[in-house]
Amino acid sequence: MALRRWFLVVPAVLLVALLQAYFWVPTYDQQSAGNPKRLLKYIEASAADAKILNPILNADTVSSGITDYVFEGLLGADQDLRLRGRLATDWAITEQAYLIVRPDKRLPDGTPVSAAELKKRILDARDRGGRSGLKGLLLAIDVLHPETRAETVVTPPAEGKPAEIRVKVRVPERLRFSLSRVDQDFFSRLEPILGSGYLDGFPYERHVDAEEPGARAHLHLVELLPLAEHNPVILFQLRRGVRFHDGTEVTARDVKFTYDAIMNPKNLSPRVSDFEPIKSIEIPDPHSVKITYKRLHSPAINAWTMGILPQHLLSEEALNAETENLSAAARAAFGMREARFNRHPIGSGPFKFVEWRDVEFIHLERNDDYWEGRPELEDYYLRIIPDPLTQEVEFRTGAVDYYGAMPHQVARYLKDDSYQSFSSLALSYSYIGYNLRKPLFADPRVRRALGMAIDVDDIIRYLLYGEGERTTGPFPKETPWYDPAVRPLPYDPAAAVRLLEEAGWRKNKEGLLEKDGTIFEFNLITNSGNPARKNIITIAQNAWKRIGIECNTQYFEWAVFLEDFVDKGAFDAVVLGWTTPPLDPDLYQIFHSSQSGPKQLNFVAYNNPEADRLIIRIRQEYDPERQRALAHRLHRIIYEDQPYNFLYTPRTTRVLDKKIVIVERDAKDQERYVKIYPTKGGTISYYFNKWRKLAFTPEF
Amino acid sequence: MWAYILRNVWQRLILLVFVSILAHSVVHLAPGEPSEVDPSNPRMKPEDIARIRAAFHLDDPLYLQYIYWLRDLASGDLKSFKDSQPVLPKIGQRLLNSLPLFLLTTLIVWGLSFPTGIHAAVHRDSPFDRSMTFLSYTLISIPGFFLSYLVILGVVDTLDVPVIGMSTFGMDEAVPVFQWMDRLWHLAIPALMSAVMGIAILSRYVRSQMLEVIGQDYVRTARAKGLPEDVVIYRHALRNALLPFVTMFGFLVPGLIGGSVIFEQIFAWPGLGRLGYEAILARDFPVILTLNFIAAVLTLIGTFVADILYLFADPRIQIE
Repeated sequence: MALRRWFLVVPAVLLVALLQAYFWVPTYDQQSAGNPKRLLKYIEASAADAKILNPILNADTVSSGITDYVFEGLLGADQDLRLRGRLATDWAITEQAYLIVRPDKRLPDGTPVSAAELKKRILDARDRGGRSGLKGLLLAIDVLHPETRAETVVTPPAEGKPAEIRVKVRVPERLRFSLSRVDQDFFSRLEPILGSGYLDGFPYERHVDAEEPGARAHLHLVELLPLAEHNPVILFQLRRGVRFHDGTEVTARDVKFTYDAIMNPKNLSPRVSDFEPIKSIEIPDPHSVKITYKRLHSPAINAWTMGILPQHLLSEEALNAETENLSAAARAAFGMREARFNRHPIGSGPFKFVEWRDVEFIHLERNDDYWEGRPELEDYYLRIIPDPLTQEVEFRTGAVDYYGAMPHQVARYLKDDSYQSFSSLALSYSYIGYNLRKPLFADPRVRRALGMAIDVDDIIRYLLYGEGERTTGPFPKETPWYDPAVRPLPYDPAAAVRLLEEAGWRKNKEGLLEKDGTIFEFNLITNSGNPARKNIITIAQNAWKRIGIECNTQYFEWAVFLEDFVDKGAFDAVVLGWTTPPLDPDLYQIFHSSQSGPKQLNFVAYNNPEADRLIIRIRQEYDPERQRALAHRLHRIIYEDQPYNFLYTPRTTRVLDKKIVIVERDAKDQERYVKIYPTKGGTISYYFNKWRKLAFTPEF
Repeated sequence: MWAYILRNVWQRLILLVFVSILAHSVVHLAPGEPSEVDPSNPRMKPEDIARIRAAFHLDDPLYLQYIYWLRDLASGDLKSFKDSQPVLPKIGQRLLNSLPLFLLTTLIVWGLSFPTGIHAAVHRDSPFDRSMTFLSYTLISIPGFFLSYLVILGVVDTLDVPVIGMSTFGMDEAVPVFQWMDRLWHLAIPALMSAVMGIAILSRYVRSQMLEVIGQDYVRTARAKGLPEDVVIYRHALRNALLPFVTMFGFLVPGLIGGSVIFEQIFAWPGLGRLGYEAILARDFPVILTLNFIAAVLTLIGTFVADILYLFADPRIQIE
């Protein structure tokens, strides 16, 4: 019977037709089957979409990840986390220092001060050489005539509304010193010549007039007219012949334009604070940029790793062309944030922007014109996949080359030899911070004892599955500022008890530590939603209980935790972590005593004058070697004080298809494959431009 | 006959208006605001919210909002709140994505349910029938999304091939035949998974319908006439058993919109169901209402076609 046969044949044919398709689909091991171009594509998965593809406007990691490929900065970090030239081939750091001539003062031998006299004496001292150290440092001295400057100052909004104050500054006669390098001690070197009181007690108010009477009280007079001023100067030489993706050459004008765009208040750039120390940018010729800073601030140079924008596409005229069809009101509000450019960026980086499909993918292709040679890969895709399970499924079938795998997923990949994995220390650390405003924690011996009672190695072993290392200070372990000679606190509860005894704490009848009739009791808190921290407070509570300390623990939702406890300084001890920048050893915000007000980051109120001095010296020091020595001293001091018990730095493990390798080419264009390896800062994508996927799994 | 059809169409049009009014009120009465004007969004200033509310007519009375919606729908100007894209082309695009999945799923369901159902009915209480019964109830009881996740993990683990999405990412420069087969493969797994539940239910129906018909006198008569068993079953019994399925066919069409929300979500299939789901989450009223409207139209068309089909399939039904 025909119908009966059809009932069997139709479903069978249907199922066979569907399932045979399997044999055509690329498998993980045969990703290039029928699709050879797959080997030249790199596909990354991200849970979140990018927001704005403009290096001066974005503040999220996804967007900045893309702009790092599309744009190129003047500088970049090399494999040892030192700066290297990108758009800049070379840069020289010098200094211009200014000193006001004070006719009201007398030099140490009684001669009245005058510009000519000062200049003569200082140049003499330089030429004599000797202890002044001016030889080789001081290049020239110019005498600047008095002038009057009109300025508009915006007061910070802390005192009610921000107000604009128009001021007139009468600048007296000054000396300008050209220095061959930045020297924060330059004016102390001059002190034997100037006399000891020269740099103190300058009558600023006599030189500044505010238009409205009484407004002067709100001004920072020292900032308007510093008696002695350091102006570091960076002179960048730009690489010649580097072109934006549309063929226009990158010149010094683009660098200045990028700076102006950041400082333009209309653009609301989140990078303003990085560029705020800049006093002026000059363009001596199309391939050099001279940047003068207002004050000593050595981390400021790191800001030039940010991508450079093309002026011809974002200038006022270019933006005006976009607003033609808009209403007058919309046109007035139109700024760089609204520009089409942010969705179709054009930079000078190794990859060109192709397409951005919302919540689907962002597609980049290689820049054949890249100054360092074109990348090996032809295409880069960022796929937006919100679901972590889908990310894993796509990764395991080769439809995604990289995603941020979670620790339990990583554990599965490590057992599989189709993957290569890279483990490196994260740029972050976890700590227990003590509120030093509380008398309970005033004694450093107490803080040290608390730290010694906790077995951090156990925390690393059981909480992080071994994926972490002990850390002893505030600097990232991989950087030169971290002093490896500082050893972690030993786990030694008995010694901890002895330390506490020295500090006056004795065990009472119930076995609790007691001093002057009060028992040792405090609250340890952290934020909810972080399982590691939640476990740490339990472990610490238990460890302290064993040596007779009563500790109550609690965790709060993040916003509550910050607002009600941390910002107000209303806590005893917290478990928290910091993410640390890899390029800059500045600890001002976290450990300087001036930063312990409400909502500031030194919420434990750490206050050590020597540490304060070192923190300032570090951010004013431009010589890396000296900076390193200062950082080591600071590291040691903070470790001795233990405002935090530094716990650990976690390791992150990243997993990649084993078929992705670094391709090296020799002079004859012969390819050689090298296994991918992480650089000092833990990045694996440092050689990304040389990455390629092979059709087979290589053996190394 | 024509009078019947015309009257039928007219009634349905009236019904459609009522459905759309009802849907409009329900959607607007449901708590929650479109995400664009959510006052808890910290990036929005109150004046921006007011501006957007005005542009969306959100502060007008409900009946006005309904008229605006109807007017924009008719003129094709209706725009999504979420991305200001015209709604109809957006739905059209997603419809093209959903259609192959829907057609294939239907084909699999109907193609597989009938043979298994008939075989189980004819060989009642055989091991085949018993295992099919067991399997059907098992599949009905297991949630489809759960089974789908298991299948995805199983396929990925043992076969090492992608299953998520409409095609493997990065295949756009592959040899064409590989591209087609890749798409077919990506279609096959979600279609099979969304068909599983349908097969389990429909084959049960087919079995019980067949059992009922096989017990009838005319089947006994056919057998008594000495007809071959296949002719008895497939010509005399099956034809009569098929009648109720004509009605079911009518209800099948709106499944195009809502039938596969879960599977489209799991397999990251950019289809209509997912569009609707996302629109509901974002309170994207124009998209929700238009989808709802289309679903209502499809249901009415489906039942209408089923009514007409009945005329031809069942000679007992006559229009005076």
